[in-house]
Amino acid sequence: MDELDALRQMRTALAREESPDRLALRTNWRSGTPPRRRRSFKVPIVSVISTAALVAGAVVVISVTSSPAPDGVPPVRLGEKGGAHEPGNALLVAATNVQKGPTREYWHTTRITGEIYAIGKSAADHYKLESRWQYDEWTDQSGKQCVVNQDLNARPWTALDKQKWEKAGAPTTVEFPVPEGGMGVLFLKPTRTGGPCRNIGDRQFLGMTVKQLAALPTQPEQLKNALLDIKGNWEAVSAKPGERPIRALKGEKRVRALSDVAGTLLGVAPAPPAVRAAAFRMLATLPGVKAEGEATDPLGRPGTVISLPVETTVPLGIYTAPKQLGTYRRQWIIDPGSGTLLAVRDLVATPPHGSRKLPPGDDGKPRRLTVDTQPDRFHKPGEVSQYEVYAVAEWTDATPN
Amino acid sequence: MATARVVSQPAEKLDDSGIVAASLEDPEAFGELFRRHAPRLHAYIKRRLGSTLADDVVAETFATAFRQRGRFDGRAEFAAWLWGIAGHLIARHHRQETRMYRAFARTGVDPAEDGIADLAGDRADAAARSPQLAKALASLSAQDRSAVLLLAWGELSYAEIAATLDLPLGTVKAKIHRARTKLRKALPEEKNDG
Repeated sequence: MDELDALRQMRTALAREESPDRLALRTNWRSGTPPRRRRSFKVPIVSVISTAALVAGAVVVISVTSSPAPDGVPPVRLGEKGGAHEPGNALLVAATNVQKGPTREYWHTTRITGEIYAIGKSAADHYKLESRWQYDEWTDQSGKQCVVNQDLNARPWTALDKQKWEKAGAPTTVEFPVPEGGMGVLFLKPTRTGGPCRNIGDRQFLGMTVKQLAALPTQPEQLKNALLDIKGNWEAVSAKPGERPIRALKGEKRVRALSDVAGTLLGVAPAPPAVRAAAFRMLATLPGVKAEGEATDPLGRPGTVISLPVETTVPLGIYTAPKQLGTYRRQWIIDPGSGTLLAVRDLVATPPHGSRKLPPGDDGKPRRLTVDTQPDRFHKPGEVSQYEVYAVAEWTDATPN
Repeated sequence: MATARVVSQPAEKLDDSGIVAASLEDPEAFGELFRRHAPRLHAYIKRRLGSTLADDVVAETFATAFRQRGRFDGRAEFAAWLWGIAGHLIARHHRQETRMYRAFARTGVDPAEDGIADLAGDRADAAARSPQLAKALASLSAQDRSAVLLLAWGELSYAEIAATLDLPLGTVKAKIHRARTKLRKALPEEKNDG
């Protein structure tokens, strides 16, 4: 079986041809008259319900974070242990306060990833849109999982962006160039929904089953040692993709990979409380990590900021050529009082500038990555370029919808 | 209601170029081209962009082809011309296509297949490999991706792909070679023995 055969076996259900009559109906095709371009999408009511449920879920989390731990012990507050300005202190407080609630039927997470895109020709005359994707995952104790993917509609990022977007005629479809050579389109009206929860087989987190997660060490140094053995493609840009353990990486690359892994353990995976606590403590030991005061996450929840400089924010293990021209600062917004990770967001440190060499194209001529296709080309230092917010991460007995 | 019923009787007997020429006088003749080409084109686009966007892109492809039919000179096959128009429209959704592959790679559930009732056709071992393939597809440039998917999903020949992308044959071969190398590396090694 080669890669072409493997491709041919992918999405076969979508490859079935439909009759021309059915297609003519759905695309408004009429013989001899050009079909009208469909401008609105049908939105099943389910999406509205799910979005409402998400908002409700976010509110629940807010109330949880401000209440004492379930065993009645009040949370340790910042500054009570060690100096408040000591780097990593908030992480140690968070580790102490990780909730030790009972394990229930399902581990349920809701997370939203967002990317901020500049639309317009100049720094003076542009607005920013936020593209969002929501993941809902329910994992039972045997590791069986169901997932709902939701492509949420894009929207203006700030109130000022909303004004500028309205001034531009409030377009509901917006196009812009992307570094890969094609285009990007953002839809500001709801486009498609996840529908019902879809079952998949055994879900693995970082290549581990739920049982293996439960067996991870609970001391930070030992946890780090175990995580260093995880194999994967941990490079942001690599000409030769291949799997290596994190241990094979050095310096900043190793820190970036470990921080990604810690984020998955804290925000996504059903890791036991003691492992989550160890993950917080491990983060505190990573070189470059520092506390940065308070901030609210993209859902408006207040938290403490822990930051780390990163060279690039592209997902690891995908690209063989550079995609970015700026530098970034990764921030974890944590709630030390409840020991939860609220969000990870990336701020622009140095805005995109100059250009970078790319591998030569088919004609052998040199190519360059340039600023004009960068989504953050008009960002100022300190502005958010992308985020992942962990709206829900809890054990529940509620059945997936 | 809207149908692709052929009103003009001779259209069925003409070849594609003949219908395009006839449709300049008799616009309704163009319907036969929809009947002939829409199902396969739609299936291909559906596989790349999911059902919702596919309906839109097919509608826009035929609207564009109809509008520009006076420019079709018959030197290339009508199908290649039509798929070329579709290719430009698909490329507009490069980012959207990419994020569906990435969501598939992250969760193991393919958002493109949402709303499809019967997914039993996908063999279990293929399903296990698909998220890795999706991750590799997410990494490809717009043209490399189009070239390899026109081969695997569009079932076009190299020459047809070259005509569709309006590129020299050698360039198409280079693109497909590069894309296949990346995809091969994404597959688990023990399953690379052919």
